Amino acid sequence: MRHRIRGAIVASAAAVAAATFSLAVIPTAGQGPAIYKAPRSAFKDGKPDVNGIWQANNTANWDIQDHAARQGPILELGAAFSVPAGLGVVEGNDIPYQPWAAAKKKENAANWLKLDPEIKCYMPGVPRAAYMPYPFQIVQTPTQILMAYEFASASRTIYMNSTDESPADTWMGWSRGRWDGDTLVVDVTSFNDQTWFDRAGNFHSEALHVVERYTPVSRDVLQYEATIEDPKVFTRPWKISMPLYRRVEKNAQLLEYKCVEFVEELMYGHLRKKTR
Amino acid sequence: MHALAAVIVVLSLAASPAAAQSATKGRPSLRTPWGDPDLQGLWTNATLTPFERPRELADKQTLSAEEAAAFEKQTLQARDADRREGAGADADLALAYNQFWYDRGTKVVSTRRTSLVVDPPDGRVPALTSEGQRRADARAVARRSSPADGPEDRPLAERCILWPTAGPPMLPSGYNNNYQILQTPTHVAILIEMIHDVRIIPLDGRPHASPHIRQWLGDSRGRWEGHTLVVTTTNYRNDTSFRGSSENLRLTERFTRVDAETINYEFTVDDPATFTKSWTAAIPMTKAEGPIFEYACHEGNYGMTNLLSGARAEEKNR
Amino acid sequence: MRAKLILVLAGVGLMCAAVPLRAHHAFAAEFDAQKPIKLEGTVTKVEWINPHAWIHIDVKRPDGKVEEWMIEGGTPNTLFRRGVTKNSLPIGTVIVVDGYQAKDGTLKGNGRDLTFKDGRKLFIGSTGTGAPNDPAESPR
Repeated sequence: MRHRIRGAIVASAAAVAAATFSLAVIPTAGQGPAIYKAPRSAFKDGKPDVNGIWQANNTANWDIQDHAARQGPILELGAAFSVPAGLGVVEGNDIPYQPWAAAKKKENAANWLKLDPEIKCYMPGVPRAAYMPYPFQIVQTPTQILMAYEFASASRTIYMNSTDESPADTWMGWSRGRWDGDTLVVDVTSFNDQTWFDRAGNFHSEALHVVERYTPVSRDVLQYEATIEDPKVFTRPWKISMPLYRRVEKNAQLLEYKCVEFVEELMYGHLRKKTR
Repeated sequence: MHALAAVIVVLSLAASPAAAQSATKGRPSLRTPWGDPDLQGLWTNATLTPFERPRELADKQTLSAEEAAAFEKQTLQARDADRREGAGADADLALAYNQFWYDRGTKVVSTRRTSLVVDPPDGRVPALTSEGQRRADARAVARRSSPADGPEDRPLAERCILWPTAGPPMLPSGYNNNYQILQTPTHVAILIEMIHDVRIIPLDGRPHASPHIRQWLGDSRGRWEGHTLVVTTTNYRNDTSFRGSSENLRLTERFTRVDAETINYEFTVDDPATFTKSWTAAIPMTKAEGPIFEYACHEGNYGMTNLLSGARAEEKNR
Repeated sequence: MRAKLILVLAGVGLMCAAVPLRAHHAFAAEFDAQKPIKLEGTVTKVEWINPHAWIHIDVKRPDGKVEEWMIEGGTPNTLFRRGVTKNSLPIGTVIVVDGYQAKDGTLKGNGRDLTFKDGRKLFIGSTGTGAPNDPAESPR
């Protein structure tokens, strides 16, 4: 008899404790466990404030799939520029290439130095811009969200609640955004076929369609997901995800990495006037 | 027009009809939700007003409405790239292509001032110091002797590194003179169409970056002074030359939203190593349709390959 | 006096642009003013890119040979703001190019004047507004 009463008291105490704890975070209907609620935008539109400088901290730019460590392409750079091991960011670790595309990916990887657009300082496209090893900054307003990337001074504008279309194909795509609760959802189309997903040769066509989701999960972390669809290259859509970390240093700012000046000799050196 | 009348015209810049509707002269009627003056929107600085006042105009500070209209008409006709009669082959080639590719503006500034330079009062950039002149002469010699030995001999715009529309200061050019300004309580961001540069200017009073950091666009810090955003920029590289400026250039820009359609943009150049005195120019920014489109320059720069290849071919044929 | 002033001011337009178009000295560096060209060709590809758009055309020579030329234009962004899109110059369109050939002798030219066979200029009055979307037209 005493057991049951004690059990009941313990159970109700636990329930009260659980209820008290859960008040610190706001449960969102239909999304399972309670999630962090970010401070609201200064524009007073009720949306979370995702302004700030963010950066991924993984090896996705080397290879978005699981990969072992391996020798880099430049002998003299030794361990400073060989490929670290990394856990992949692809859900299921499988990129569903069509057979012709799987072969092309292998060819890309084998000719990385000649073919990777990153090496020529070309703009990285989406989603690669999110996980280049350089910070990027989000400047958020209700009608437009600007993402400025340190690499190559790349940038793109996310038009909020817009149905506008791009007149032509672009490196960074054409982005239309909306809020889904506290998640920024960005629909990106109108890519050219020139960017890669990583240094491992993963590629796409101009039919690429990316849907990104940025969700604040703590004060200094955004959870980033991107669903990738390209009927010319893949047999079905596939997904990547990773955290993006806030650069919390005092006075953090983007600096310049225009990088064009670092590749001119590489790209145009063969046309330089010969001096005797 | 009397000089006094001209001065009155210049000073009444802020009191355009729309601004006069707000409670106080020159006060912008638009504010962000947190109370800062609102500079946001899509803006252009294209104008037919010349940067410096032509010497023939001497002290004439402004044009009459009639003179301005005539000037606009004549300038547009003279500049029309589709007019090819009478031009020699070199001049024809320099005009490059049809008028429909250009977008250089169709009006002088609304004050009808005769130059964008407003100080010194003669509307012209002050003389260079002897050191500034020496550097300018050296650059001219280099351009003549090695115009295209390698990419670094070409202007920054041709290298797809920096356009004068970005600067800073931000100057109008032949086309794509478009700027998108976004604001938060802590930053003002300016997206410049060419070359997709974004100036993100912190407003929190932090110091400039260390002198070891040198950048093509310098390093900018902003603060509100009443209704005006004041932006100071330092930390320029020594090869970002604005009209011959040195790495010690200190630029001060002022942005004031005077009415729904206009930001008064003014900049002061302080570079005693180069100019014998400070000088100031004002280039109004007016609301534009946009949108800004991606200007991916380096990615499509066939021109650099072609001009270097052309220079090598010319040398062979000499 | 007034007439003289206006003439002086008109001359100003030629001499004192807000920023001299130095970038277009690149055309003098790429193309040869002594090698004028006039071509009629069929569009095979259009690169709607910056800093310059490129129109690829097949040109049939009198001897029957087909030459593949690349013709350089300006920035497409100004056209986009007038309603032009990547579909505005379809493959197969016949255009006439008046310009100058590349200094290095390759089959490239600048499109100094681009027209259809009937003499109409390209991209004027195409889909969209037709007239330039002129931001400077706001009232003074």
